[in-house]
Amino acid sequence: MTQIIIQGMLLSGLYALIAIGFTLIFSVGRVLNLAYGAYLMIGGYVYFYISQQLGLPKGIGLILAAAVGCLAGLLKYRFIAKPLKGNHVAIEIATLILAIVIQSAIILVFGESTKILHSLVPGIVRLEGVTAPWSNILATGLSWVLIIAVFIFVRQSHTGRAMLAVSQDPKGAAICGINGEWINMVTWGISGLLGGVAGVFFASYTQLSPFMWVGPLIVTVAIVIVGGIGSIIGTLIVAHIIGFLEVIVVSYIAPELRGIFTMLLIILFLIFRPRGLFGREELA
Amino acid sequence: MKLIEKKHLVAWGAFLLIMLLMPNFVSNGTLRIFIFANFLAIFAISWDVLSGRTGYISFGHPFLIGIGVYATAIMSKRFGMPVEYSIPLAVLITMLGSVLIFLPALRIKGSYFALVTLAFMELAYQLVQVVRPDLTGGTRGIFGIKTLTRGAENGFYMSMSLMFAVAFSAWLIMRTQLGTALSALGMQEESLEGSGKSTTKLKLAAFMLSAFIAGLGGAFYAHYVGAIAPRTLFDINFLFTIIVAVLLGGSGTIIGPIIGAFFLTFLLEFLRPYLPGAGRYFIYGAIALLLYMYQPKGIYNLLEKLYQRWRGGAA
Repeated sequence: MTQIIIQGMLLSGLYALIAIGFTLIFSVGRVLNLAYGAYLMIGGYVYFYISQQLGLPKGIGLILAAAVGCLAGLLKYRFIAKPLKGNHVAIEIATLILAIVIQSAIILVFGESTKILHSLVPGIVRLEGVTAPWSNILATGLSWVLIIAVFIFVRQSHTGRAMLAVSQDPKGAAICGINGEWINMVTWGISGLLGGVAGVFFASYTQLSPFMWVGPLIVTVAIVIVGGIGSIIGTLIVAHIIGFLEVIVVSYIAPELRGIFTMLLIILFLIFRPRGLFGREELA
Repeated sequence: MKLIEKKHLVAWGAFLLIMLLMPNFVSNGTLRIFIFANFLAIFAISWDVLSGRTGYISFGHPFLIGIGVYATAIMSKRFGMPVEYSIPLAVLITMLGSVLIFLPALRIKGSYFALVTLAFMELAYQLVQVVRPDLTGGTRGIFGIKTLTRGAENGFYMSMSLMFAVAFSAWLIMRTQLGTALSALGMQEESLEGSGKSTTKLKLAAFMLSAFIAGLGGAFYAHYVGAIAPRTLFDINFLFTIIVAVLLGGSGTIIGPIIGAFFLTFLLEFLRPYLPGAGRYFIYGAIALLLYMYQPKGIYNLLEKLYQRWRGGAA
């Protein structure tokens, strides 16, 4: 029982961490960024390159992973989301193609084989007979910090409130003198940054592989759909529902079935309650 | 304007003739590439009939194709059913399976519909590995499925005639009122409803037609390659190939997906000597992305424009 709670908390924290960036972009731009999984991959590989191939300190690896993720987000906004403005399905298809391009670029540079990432903080800790890597505990803590930070940022800061305004009513926001394009760009940048950071932790939890983007993308989609568009608190809660469901399925039913409830949740919610559990059609 | 003009039939005839004569001119290796292009063209037409026309973007087409593939593979390999029965049955099962993704389409559309279909594909991928692995072969898939043809030439004729039959029938169907109505569904669902058409029936027709083609293509594909595995089938890369073939060629047409499928398959083969392995997809994806961003109507539209300019210049 303790084992399930600890493992569930750790996995959920990780899931919350990877979902925040996606929630942001989905809330403000109303765009499904199918290349979001690729941010994770980019973050993971940048960290791998800096800290394991170049042998620089791990902190630099993490910072650069965040920076490159941010850059990727900005580029994606400039060259895909902005030109295709308003055509959501087209953006989805374009980001799907982009994800495959990034995947094959990574294969070209790093090869197809999976790589083990040395995690940010090495070592494991024993809690009640459960072994938990420090890196996962850090990820869980970080996910809480980041979610609270994003929540406060959106509620309190000027830019955050502008994001909220743009997500609710782009025209009204423009009348109030908010530069919608700038806000969108900032959102894509932050989303990429969060994705890059999450990628470092996700890759140390699993492995680094050019195909690692599909799994987290689906989990993220599930979290955002079930949590409800734009609900940051919903993201946090549903990340825990999905994380715990997965741990319970793995321990009591069969490890192979771990993703099945995630898929079923997506399907059922999209059909019967498309606005999700906490969806209020607005950010925060 | 008549719906079916002589020049169209002449074009189809010429296309058939070129394809029939193909084995006389090219090597067996090239024929094998053609076989894959033919199958991809079938899948692309299947996607386009649904998503290109009606605007209900399916991200789960490998799910439909996979049903057809697995159904015939299980029936013929595990139960020893003759292919004459297993393929039609597999097509029927695929059409039944498509009801699963048809029902959501009654309530949701746009991004949400696309996501549901994507979830169905991943669900199928996971389920097929754990539910009755004695039938599905689990993660490793099914080997030694009875193959219909031997040798590149026979395989080419089989896949080519199937592709031609599918393309020509789909073209004929799209010339009827049904085809027009389906395109109208993609443009303005509400006004179509206002004009007294049942959109539900129309959607059902599109899903069934799409599933029929997907199941047919999938079943024949299973009996061509002889071995299937879940990871190559229920795969986002496979989905990507299908969608890109349609979009590059030109969606909402029949010839577009065929052009796209041939272009992509041969592009991949052309790149093989320079970039072995999955790295080829980098060039291929980059071309796809650029074309999609700057020429969203596809190659067919580009060719049409060039043709008109050329005719305009000559006249």
